[in-house]
Amino acid sequence: MANLTSEQVKELADNLLRMTNALGDFRYENYSKLNPQENKRLKELHNNLLEQTTELYTKSAVLVLDDAEESLNKVKVITAKTQELYSNLDNIQKGINWATKILGMASAILSLNTESIAASIKSIIS
Amino acid sequence: MKIFKTFLFAISFMSLLMGCVNLGHVTNFSKTSIEALQTYGNLSQSFTSVCTQDCELKHISNYNVYKTKCECGGNVKADSITNAIYRATVEYLHGLMAVSDKTSAKFETADLTNTLATGNYGPIKLNSEDVASYSKLTSLILRAYSGIRSRKKINSYVTEGHEPFQHLLYFLEFNLSQNLNGKLEVQKKSIQNFYFDFVHDTHLSSYERTKFAEDYFEKKATIERHQNELKLFGDLVNEVKEGHKLLLQNLDQLTDEEVKNNLAKTAQKLALGARIISQLK
Repeated sequence: MANLTSEQVKELADNLLRMTNALGDFRYENYSKLNPQENKRLKELHNNLLEQTTELYTKSAVLVLDDAEESLNKVKVITAKTQELYSNLDNIQKGINWATKILGMASAILSLNTESIAASIKSIIS
Repeated sequence: MKIFKTFLFAISFMSLLMGCVNLGHVTNFSKTSIEALQTYGNLSQSFTSVCTQDCELKHISNYNVYKTKCECGGNVKADSITNAIYRATVEYLHGLMAVSDKTSAKFETADLTNTLATGNYGPIKLNSEDVASYSKLTSLILRAYSGIRSRKKINSYVTEGHEPFQHLLYFLEFNLSQNLNGKLEVQKKSIQNFYFDFVHDTHLSSYERTKFAEDYFEKKATIERHQNELKLFGDLVNEVKEGHKLLLQNLDQLTDEEVKNNLAKTAQKLALGARIISQLK
C-alpha cells in the first residue's frame, strides 16, 4: 500500500465519522435495552472513535503523502457494512466487538503506518 | 513661443495618458479579494480552539477540574500551516494591486519568506509540490515590488502566479471548509454523546433533564453557526479563484468592457460575502 494524500486522509476521516455515527445511533436507539455496562462500554467506544476521527481531520490538514486507492475502497466497503450492521443489529455483544475492531483500524489509520492500516483492514474484511 | 511650449506640453501629456492603461478594475478586484480573504481573521474557530474545547468537554464528562492540560500540538501545527497559506495568498493579491495600480502603497513582506519555506513543523512532512507553490509565489511577490510597473509586468505576474495561487487557495479552502468543518462535525456528535445520558436519566428531575436538553440544542446551534461561517469563507475563496482565472484568461483584453464588468461583478460578490462574514460574529 502506497502513502496517503491529505485528501485521502480526509476521506478516511469522513468514513470513520460515518461508522462512528452508526455506532452512536445504535446506542441511542437501543438505550432502553442496554444494561448499564453495555451502555457504558458503547459510550466509551463511541467517544474513543470520535477522538480518533477529529485527530484524523487534523492530520489531513498537515500531512500530504502519496497514493492509496485500493485500501480506501476497502474502507468504503467497511463503512457501508458498519452502517448496515448497526441498523439491523440484534446482538449487543456483536456490536461491541465490531466497534472494537473499528477502533483498532482507526488507531492504525492515525499512525499513518500504511502496513498496519492494510493489516487491520484485512482482519476486518476476512 | 509660450503658447507653442504649452501646446507641446499638452501633446506630451496626452500621449502619456494614452499610453497608460486604466486597470482600476484589476486593482479593485485585488482589493476586494484581499478584504474577502481577510475575513479569515474573523472566523470564530481554529484547529487549536476546537481541540481545546474538545479537551475541556472530556474533562467535564470525567468531572475533572484538576490537571486539565490539553495536548493540542498537532492542531497548533495545522493552524500554522493554514495561517502561512493564508498570508501568502493575501500578499500575492497585494502584489497584484501594486502592479495594476501605480498609486498603491508599499506593503510589508518581511514575514513572508520566513514561514512555510523554513519547514519548521517537527515531524510533519510537507509535499515538495506544496512548498514549491509557496516559494514560487513569495519570490514572485517580492519581484512585484521592484523595478518599473508596466502592462507586461501584470501579464507575467498573473501568468506566473496563477498556478501556485490556485494551489494555495485550494489548500486554504480544503483545510477550513473541509478539515476544520469535519472537526466541528465531530464536536457536534461528541456533545450529543455527552448530553444523551443526562437527558434520559430518570433519576434526575424533569426540570434538570429539560435544562440539559436546552443546553445541548444551544451548543449545537453555536457549532452550526461556526460551520456556516467556514462554508461562507470557502465560497469566498472559490470566488477569488474564479476571479483570478477570469483575469488570466483575459490578459490580452483587460480593457474590454465585458471583462471589466465580469471582474466588477466578482468584486461585488466578494465585498458582499466579506460583509456577511464580518456581521456574523
